[in-house]
Amino acid sequence: MPHDKGRNRIGAFMRSPAATPYLLLLPAALVILSVVLLPLLVSFWTSFTSYNLTRPATLFNFIGLRNYQRLMGNTDFWWAFGRTIIFITIALNLEMLLGLGLALLVNKITWGQRTLRTIMMFPMMFSPILVGFQFKYVFNDSIGLVNNALFDLGLIKQPIAWLVDGNLANFSIIFAEIWMSTSIFAILLLAGLMALPKEPIEAARVDGCNPLQVFRHITLPFLMPFVYIAMTIRSLDVARAYDMVRIMTNGGPAGRTELIWTLMTRTGYQNSQMGMANAMGYVSIILSIVFTFYFYKKLVSARTFMGGAQ
Amino acid sequence: MVSKILAKTLLASCAVVVLSGTALAQEFDYGSFPDYTLKVKLIGGTQYEKLYTRIPEWEAMTGAKVEIVSSKNHFDLDREIKQDIATGQISWCVGSNHTSFAPQYGDLYIDLKEMIPAEELAKYVPGTLAASEVDGRLVQLPRVTDVSNIYYRKDIYEDPDNMKAYKEKFGTDLAPAKTFDELKQQIIFLADPPNLYGTAFAGKDEGMSGRFMEILRANGGDLFDENWKPIFNSPEGVAALEWFKEIYDAGAVPAGTVNYTWDDIGQAMAAGQLAIDLDWPGFAGFYSDPSASKISDVLGFAVSPVGSAGVRGGWSGSHSFSVTQACDNKEAAVSFAVFLTNDESEMMEAEAGNLPTRSKTFDEVIKYFNENNKPALAEMFPIWQASLADARTPPLIPQWIEVSNILWPQLQAAIVGEKTPQEALDKAAADATVIMEDAGLL
Repeated sequence: MPHDKGRNRIGAFMRSPAATPYLLLLPAALVILSVVLLPLLVSFWTSFTSYNLTRPATLFNFIGLRNYQRLMGNTDFWWAFGRTIIFITIALNLEMLLGLGLALLVNKITWGQRTLRTIMMFPMMFSPILVGFQFKYVFNDSIGLVNNALFDLGLIKQPIAWLVDGNLANFSIIFAEIWMSTSIFAILLLAGLMALPKEPIEAARVDGCNPLQVFRHITLPFLMPFVYIAMTIRSLDVARAYDMVRIMTNGGPAGRTELIWTLMTRTGYQNSQMGMANAMGYVSIILSIVFTFYFYKKLVSARTFMGGAQ
Repeated sequence: MVSKILAKTLLASCAVVVLSGTALAQEFDYGSFPDYTLKVKLIGGTQYEKLYTRIPEWEAMTGAKVEIVSSKNHFDLDREIKQDIATGQISWCVGSNHTSFAPQYGDLYIDLKEMIPAEELAKYVPGTLAASEVDGRLVQLPRVTDVSNIYYRKDIYEDPDNMKAYKEKFGTDLAPAKTFDELKQQIIFLADPPNLYGTAFAGKDEGMSGRFMEILRANGGDLFDENWKPIFNSPEGVAALEWFKEIYDAGAVPAGTVNYTWDDIGQAMAAGQLAIDLDWPGFAGFYSDPSASKISDVLGFAVSPVGSAGVRGGWSGSHSFSVTQACDNKEAAVSFAVFLTNDESEMMEAEAGNLPTRSKTFDEVIKYFNENNKPALAEMFPIWQASLADARTPPLIPQWIEVSNILWPQLQAAIVGEKTPQEALDKAAADATVIMEDAGLL
């Protein structure tokens, strides 16, 4: 009776004190499995079906790799994919630089810093849809704030079509994204600056380092883990920009600002082609994995450099 | 003699009783549903929510309670309804709908013809009601109808310099355009950017596809042939797309128009930046309101132009209410949907400048506008009502939105000069063919 023996052994283990940690973790594990793993598996399955949102029976219509094969030959998808990588790269780097600058400035303030920190968080409190409407108006070519200002200053004679020209439209979207999310970097880096030990800086000053050298050799290395944590969080959260792009251009004109999120949502919800949209999602997950892996590796090496990893 | 008079009086009173009996029979019975809670998902937004102030009246009449479980803009509501279908969670009874969206929802909604007496349905505008059917099933009760016609600025059209210059250049008087070619000519002629543009058009989403479809049909073409083969890359389609491209290239529309939606156009027209606007009736109230619009006292109306085939495209659609198959009290749900589209409700919609869906309301509202010193709206209504005769919806198939989504980016590509109109339409037609093949229609 090996089967009964095995069962007895499991039963004995479950009653032993060694099982306690596993039993305590079991509810959490079950919850995570049901809310994360199960939907992931279902959506992965749908990417191999012709699943149409309004025809639930299609959930079981297995079509193999057809969705993925179509995606491989879909130039619009790959343009959107490439554009999304460029969008994330430019937006995150600029947000990091501006956030760092903001954090350094705010850190210098001795009076009213709390108020300023709260004000700094305002843009990230806005819903991305509102930010979209706001910048759609700001960059509107005929009644927009920017063009009106440029007209009044006599800098232009004809309106600039901010949201039409490929470069300008992408610039406008990145600008709006930076406006909305720079403060996240600023807040995280400010937290890092506030935790910065004073002794090494004072010692460096005594040794004759100028402010630039102090920043380059002491402040920045200490801040790098915070930078990479912020980068990792933002690279996963950057898809929040979807609503903003949806309102400003919806990927147009002529697909010039199409990002993977606008394409996926249109395919999944408006066209109801959820199977295809999930296939797009799984291909684009590569993006998130690459970015997360890269930043995590950088984070570990930065912490090792600081001597904080061990 | 007396007996004769008596007999006549009796006969007359009998006739009155019979007539009033007939009238009573034609009144819709809203029923009684005490303690029942009706769950509804309704379109939100200022222009739609005024009607919902009538809900307490229905509650008082029927004893039921209404719980609005969702109130969102139509695109979000559409997404939510699709999620409900996918998860099988249809726990609500009445939903806002639209003729363009309705075909996507399969058998989510009941055929209202089976629940509403024919004499009640006869009160709706016949064409509008017919366009509310999908595969012969009346899946929605129309609430307001959309069909676009011309708004123009009388001060620009009646300006002596403009009139003289136009006559010299084209040999005809400057008057609201009768054809799309003439409209294009006027849009380019009247434009004086950046202060004044000839017009603006909704350049993305279904707004772009729909306007293209309208001119395509006015030119004698269509989106599909009788076998659902996409045929919009025809010479008529190319001509329709060139119409947009020519006014765009001439700088007669704001360059950003390819990103505009209805609200952008409405704002630009009300701000006095456009000479002409081919648009929905819903804007009439806004444009003629002196507190919100700079053009309230110079607003003119004209019927939509015809295309090269001498017909109107008449792009039309209706906002509506539908009742779900899964509803646990369909009588209450139908009662609610009829109530929100009955004569009083339609009058409320029409007073706000919307095109009602009940025939009777048209005459009544024109009288109301005249009595309430709103001559512009009184002038607008007969024009919009007349154009309903040519009204046509987009194809009532589930694939329409999907086809529209591959069409408008290609139209944009041609308008901004990335592709020729023929290339853009050929690409869209090829993609649309795949969609129709996948759907089993080809």
